Amino acid sequence: MQLTPNSSSASKPVGLTNRLGGFIDRTFQYWTIAPLVITLLLLVVYPIFQLVRMSVSEVDIVIGRAVWEFVGLKHLETALQDPVVPVALKNTLVFVIAVVIIETLLALTISILVSRSKHLVGLYRTVLLIPLLVPPIAIGTMWRLMYDYNYGFINQVLAVFGSAGLTWTADPKLAMPSVIVVDLWHWTSFMFLIILAGLESLPQEVNEAARVDGATESQILRFITLPLLRPTLVTAIMLRTIFAFKVFDEIFLLTGGGPGTATEVISLYIYDVFSGQFRLGYASFLALGLALIISIFVIFYRRLGRRAQL
Amino acid sequence: MKVSWMKKTQGGLFLTLSLLVVFSFLLAACGPAATTEAPAPTQAVTRESPTEAADSTATEELMPLPPITILINESPWLAGFEALVNKYVEETGHQVNLNRTPFNGMLEKSRNSVQASESEFDILTLNEQWYMQFYADGLVTPIKEIDPNFELDPQIIEYEWATRWNPELGYSSQDGELYGLPINGNIMLFFYRKDLFEEQGLAAPQTWADVEASAQKLHSADMSGYVVRANPPNWEFQAFLASFGGSVIKLDEQTREWEVTFNSPEALEALNTWLKLGREYGPANYADNGQAEMIALMASEKVAQMVLVGAAAPDFDNPEKSTVVGKVGAVPVPGATIGSNATMSGIWVMGIPHNLPDERKEAALAFLTWALSKDAQLFYAQSGAIPVRQDVYEEMANDPTQGWWMKAMADSTPFIHAQPRLAETPQIIEVLDRRLKQALISEITPEQALLEAAREIHKILTDAGYQVKPLAD
Repeated sequence: MQLTPNSSSASKPVGLTNRLGGFIDRTFQYWTIAPLVITLLLLVVYPIFQLVRMSVSEVDIVIGRAVWEFVGLKHLETALQDPVVPVALKNTLVFVIAVVIIETLLALTISILVSRSKHLVGLYRTVLLIPLLVPPIAIGTMWRLMYDYNYGFINQVLAVFGSAGLTWTADPKLAMPSVIVVDLWHWTSFMFLIILAGLESLPQEVNEAARVDGATESQILRFITLPLLRPTLVTAIMLRTIFAFKVFDEIFLLTGGGPGTATEVISLYIYDVFSGQFRLGYASFLALGLALIISIFVIFYRRLGRRAQL
Repeated sequence: MKVSWMKKTQGGLFLTLSLLVVFSFLLAACGPAATTEAPAPTQAVTRESPTEAADSTATEELMPLPPITILINESPWLAGFEALVNKYVEETGHQVNLNRTPFNGMLEKSRNSVQASESEFDILTLNEQWYMQFYADGLVTPIKEIDPNFELDPQIIEYEWATRWNPELGYSSQDGELYGLPINGNIMLFFYRKDLFEEQGLAAPQTWADVEASAQKLHSADMSGYVVRANPPNWEFQAFLASFGGSVIKLDEQTREWEVTFNSPEALEALNTWLKLGREYGPANYADNGQAEMIALMASEKVAQMVLVGAAAPDFDNPEKSTVVGKVGAVPVPGATIGSNATMSGIWVMGIPHNLPDERKEAALAFLTWALSKDAQLFYAQSGAIPVRQDVYEEMANDPTQGWWMKAMADSTPFIHAQPRLAETPQIIEVLDRRLKQALISEITPEQALLEAAREIHKILTDAGYQVKPLAD
C-alpha cells in the first residue's frame, strides 16, 4: 500500500485522536474517582501526615504563628521516661479487656434471649438502644451524681438496707470497676445491636434440620449458632476494642483519672498533655502510639475474622 | 394488615419526631443569640487615649469606639460581670458583646482566636494557669503598647505580679511589663461553722494546729472536722506549703538560677499536716472532693471547716442552696504559726489579643480601664462578683450581707502567694496534682511523693532550658 503525503498527514490526527480516546477510555475510571481520591487525601491522609509530622516536632504558637522544630525521636525518649505513660497504658488495657469481654458476653446473652422472644422484640430493641443515644457527657454527669458518696442514688438505696454506702469513685480499688460499670451500661447496647443483626441474618434452615436430627437448644447454640456468628462477633469485638481504647468522656467526668492514678487512661493523659500542658508534639506522639497499639489489635482481629470465614 | 398499619404508624411517629427535633433546632438557631447584644452606641466620647476615653463623660461627638467582644467563662461570678458590662454600656453607650463559654472550652477558644489573622475577641479572660503562656509567647498585647500613658492604680491588687511578665527571666515579676489586668480576684479563704465554734467556745483558727484542735472537737459520724480539696489538690496544698515557708520552685536572684524546693523538710511538714487533716477528719470519700462537692458539704451541714475559694461565700448565704445561712464565718487561711498565713492566687486576668487593629485594642483597654475604677468595682462587688481593688474590699467589709467574707478578703491581701508562674506551669501543676493525689490515697509515701515530684519538675525545667541548681535529695 502506498501512502500519499496527504493521506499520511490525514492519518496522523486520526491516530492521535484514537490514542487520546484510548487513553481516556483506559483511564476514565480513574478520572471519575479522582475528585473523591483528592478529597479523601485532603481530609484523611493530610491530617494523618500532619499528626506524624507533629509527633517528631516541637510545635509552639508564638505571636500567632506555629513554629515547628524537628526533634526526631525526642518524644519517644520522653515517653519512655514519663511515669504516667506505663500507668495509663496499664489502666487502658485493664479497661479495654474488661469492657470488651463483659460487654460481649452480656450482649450475646441478651441478643440470644431477644431473638428467641416472640413478643415485644421491637420494645426490647428500643429500650436497649437508649443508653447508646445519650451523649457521653450526660452519662458521665448522671453517673457521677449516682455514685456520689453523700447524696448519690446508689448509696441512698444501700442505706435503705442498712449499709453505710461505698466510696465508689474515691476508693482506688472501686474506682476502675465503677467506671467499667458505666461503660457497660453505655456500650452493651452497641454490641447487642450488631450481634442481634448477625443472629437474625443466620439461616434458620440449619437450626431446623438440627432440631429434626434431635439436637438440643444448647447444642444448636454451641455447634451451629456460635460458629456461624463468629464473623459478626469478631467485627463487633474489633469495633468495640477500638472505641474502648479511646475512652475519654466517661472517665473525664466520673473520676478525672483519679483517685491517685487509679483510672488514668491514655486518652485522658493525651488530652491533658495536649490541652492542659499545650505540648502539641508530645501529645501527637502519644496519639500516634495509641493508634499503633489499636492497629495491632485490628490486624489481630482481621486475621481472626479471616480464619472464621474459612 | 395489622403489621403494615403498625409499621406505618411507627414510620409516621418517627417522621413527626424527627421534624419536631429539626424544627426545634431551627427555632433555637433563629432565637436570640447567646451573646449580650447591647444597644447600638448612643453616645460617643472623645478618643485621645483609651484611658482618657474611659474616664471621659464628654458627649462631644468625634468618633465612637468600635464594639468589643469579650470571651468570658461561665462561672459563679458571670452574673456580676454581666451587670458590670450592662452598666458600662449604659454609662458610655459603647457596645459590648459577651461570648459565654464553659470553663473547659475557654482555653481552646482563646488559643484559636490568637492564631487567627484577626482575633474574633477583643478581650480574653485568662485563668491563673494559662496566662503565662499567652504572655511568654506574645499572644496578648502589652498594655503600654496600646496606651503609653497607662498607669495601674495602686489600689488594684496585682496578686504577686500576675499581671506582668519579665521575658528575660521568663516569669512574672514585679519589674516585668504589664500584659494583663485582673478582673476576678479569686483567692482562698478559710470557712468555718461560726455557730458550732461559738457553741464549743472555739476561736476562729489562726494556725493549722488550731484547725486540727477544732476538727477533733467537731468531727463526728455526721460531721467532718475538715475536708481537703482532692480534685485538683495542688492549689490548696500550695497554701499549706507556703504557710510552712516552703515553695515548689525558687529563683536565686543573684545567680538567676532556679531551685526545685518541693522536697524540702518544710514541704514534708506541710504535706503531713494536709494529709492528716484530710484523712483523719475528712469524709469517707476524702480523696474525691472537688470544689462543687466541698460547697455542697458545707451548705448541707456536713463539714465544719475548709479552705475554699472566696467566691464560694455567697453560696453559703443562698437559702435556695444552703441550710447554713448566716452560720458560716470566714478568716484568712491559717498559717503554720500565727502570722505565717498564706493564700494562693487563683485569679482571672483579661488580656487584649496581639492580632487586633489599634482601634479595637484601644476600645478594649477603654473598657478595662473603666471596669477597674473604684466605682465600677464597688458595683461589681455588690453584684456578686469578686473585685480586685483593696479599697473596695475595705469598704465592702462593712456591708451587712457580704461584709463577713469581704473583710476576710481584705485581711488576706498581705498573704497572697503565687503559684509557679512560668510558661511550663501547666506541666508542673500536672506533676503536683498527680503526686499529691497518690500520696492522699497512700499509693506512695509523702516522702516519695515530694521527691518524685521534685525530680519531675527538675527535669521539666532543665529540658525547657532554664538554669537549674542540682536537686537536693
